[in-house]
Amino acid sequence: MNFKEIAKRCETGPLTESKDFLMKTVAAPAMKLAKEYAIAWDGKTFVNLDDDLADRCFQAGRELFIHSGLYSMNSNRVVQFSEREVDEALRAVRGQVQMGAGKDRVTIHHRGVEDPRAPFIFCGPFNANVHEDMFVRLNEAFSRERIVDCLFFPGYLNEVDGQLIRPNSALATRMAILYGQWSREAVRRAGRPDMPIAGHAVMAPGEIACTNEAWGLRSTDPRAMVLISELQVDDVTMTRLAYYTAIGCPIYMAFTPLIGGYGGSPAGTAVVAVASFIASIMLGGEIVHIGPQHMKYKQQTNQHSLFLSSLANQAIARNSQIIATTSHTTSGRPGSAQYAYEFSALALASVTSGSNVSGPRPAEPLGNNNVSPLMGVLFAEVARAAAGMSRAAATPIVEALYDKYKDHLDLENAPKGQPFEELYDLGTLEPTAEHRAVYDQVKEELVALGVPLH
Amino acid sequence: MADAEQIYEAMRKSIETYDSDAAVAASEEAVAAGLDLLEAVEKGFANPIRELGEAFDRMEIFLPELTLGADAMKAGVAVLEKALNEQGGKLETKATVVIGTVEGDIHDIGKSVVGTLLQANGYEVHDLGVEVPATRIIEAAESHEANVIALSALLSTTMLYQRDVIELLKNRGIRDKYFVIVGGAPVTQAWADEIGADGFAHDAFEAVGLLDGAMGGRNS
Repeated sequence: MNFKEIAKRCETGPLTESKDFLMKTVAAPAMKLAKEYAIAWDGKTFVNLDDDLADRCFQAGRELFIHSGLYSMNSNRVVQFSEREVDEALRAVRGQVQMGAGKDRVTIHHRGVEDPRAPFIFCGPFNANVHEDMFVRLNEAFSRERIVDCLFFPGYLNEVDGQLIRPNSALATRMAILYGQWSREAVRRAGRPDMPIAGHAVMAPGEIACTNEAWGLRSTDPRAMVLISELQVDDVTMTRLAYYTAIGCPIYMAFTPLIGGYGGSPAGTAVVAVASFIASIMLGGEIVHIGPQHMKYKQQTNQHSLFLSSLANQAIARNSQIIATTSHTTSGRPGSAQYAYEFSALALASVTSGSNVSGPRPAEPLGNNNVSPLMGVLFAEVARAAAGMSRAAATPIVEALYDKYKDHLDLENAPKGQPFEELYDLGTLEPTAEHRAVYDQVKEELVALGVPLH
Repeated sequence: MADAEQIYEAMRKSIETYDSDAAVAASEEAVAAGLDLLEAVEKGFANPIRELGEAFDRMEIFLPELTLGADAMKAGVAVLEKALNEQGGKLETKATVVIGTVEGDIHDIGKSVVGTLLQANGYEVHDLGVEVPATRIIEAAESHEANVIALSALLSTTMLYQRDVIELLKNRGIRDKYFVIVGGAPVTQAWADEIGADGFAHDAFEAVGLLDGAMGGRNS
């Protein structure tokens, strides 16, 4: 469906109050459909092994979306789609997208469950706060890791010249321009000048200002937008879509289904997640990112989230050509072994379930630059190692890793980690010996658990 | 006519079944029976809604149930409060809270959960919604004679507006009138300290504990 038609429906759909949409149009039907299709979590499973459950989840999510549509938060109108429009859109999904240019061009594919093909690796600061003095160096360190396919969300610049940035201000636009320039500079310094950069600079429409074919983000770079939970879209996202669609950027559409929220249980939320996948492609999303949020844990490696990610990804992988990627958000922070245990558990669950990977990041970074390119490398290595593994083989490893961190999910008490400048030698851009030792130790443990890392 | 215990039971049941109409009917019965209305609020609604909040924390129920339960409580309490006011009485609350998501930020869910649980725990809550400019938050706090201003921000870019509310309170010479708490995914204790907020909470339950502590201290 073309963008113009959706933008029009944002202005002409039925006028509805937000609470009514969420409670009556999403929550109640989602729970009802979960019941009707017998979608339930047994309280034990980490990685779904039941293909029929995944297929039922897809049917329930498709039905939910045909019923609910999308909510335009600013116009308070429901954007509705017919069953025929939804099915046509699903059939039209191409299953692969190219990004980047020249010899740095890469292709992301739809993956199937237990697909032997390597997952695509989106890796970078993932929207951690990055200080302006460290922005280029830190992103250079990520970009020079060849295992990273696309530099992912180069970081929030909260201040420029020591001045905090107010959204939609002139400084926010200046910041967005610097974000584009410095991100491009980082990949150039890394020797990958045309490497794709998944951009998500600021909330302001001024983000468009970071787009420039010569020095900034380009039409060959995927640009990210986020649906608001659940199944809601705002004018800022629609504005970005209008522009990025017009210049031909690959559209990276993210959504964050809320476990314990309007979908209710992990099973009900999986139904909402499938509906959100479909909503994302209706809006023109070509790469769809699932990042489940959790009312209690606020991260993505708890058992509920592991199960939800596996179930929703399998539903999509088995029943569509949608290109899925899963975000990896942890309690532990870079520099700690727990950080690696957590993202490894989720990477094993998501990759065997048919997803590509985006991340990792701590759910609550402490201060600026709380990121580690070396941990990004380990994340990518685990994700690649998971390609071709069966879900049954991955499950005991996920369980063993979960045992290592399950008592430290609370963000307050999770390991604090260290900032980039303490984990890396800033002169050589190499990890410190101590940081390398954490990488080596966790890698050995993963191999011992059965992850085929080579 | 049903006795007090039967009416309280009907109120409790209305919360457990998320039934606003039943809550209103039970409250009307309580008024007609001439019950002690403050006791009716406590025994009929406050206890079960607190239990509902605890069940939500244990993830035995989810946001839709919590919202429907809170709606039932609000509907029932409104009937009791109206009758109480007509009798010259007043519903006791721990404090009056004005809550909103700051300017430029459209995220609603976390803020709404905090508001609901505060209400469930005996606070009068005025939820201003999302994208609320600093001036409107302060005007609402003044007009509702609030004790607490609760500010939510889900984006690191919009956190800045939490600071602006506090600065504006200072500029107007009314900073000390309010206990200001801040929250939201990117918000930390360090940020709360930096901008001079009185408190910070990671989640809704922490917010309730924080205010219970602070308001208890203030009252004493």
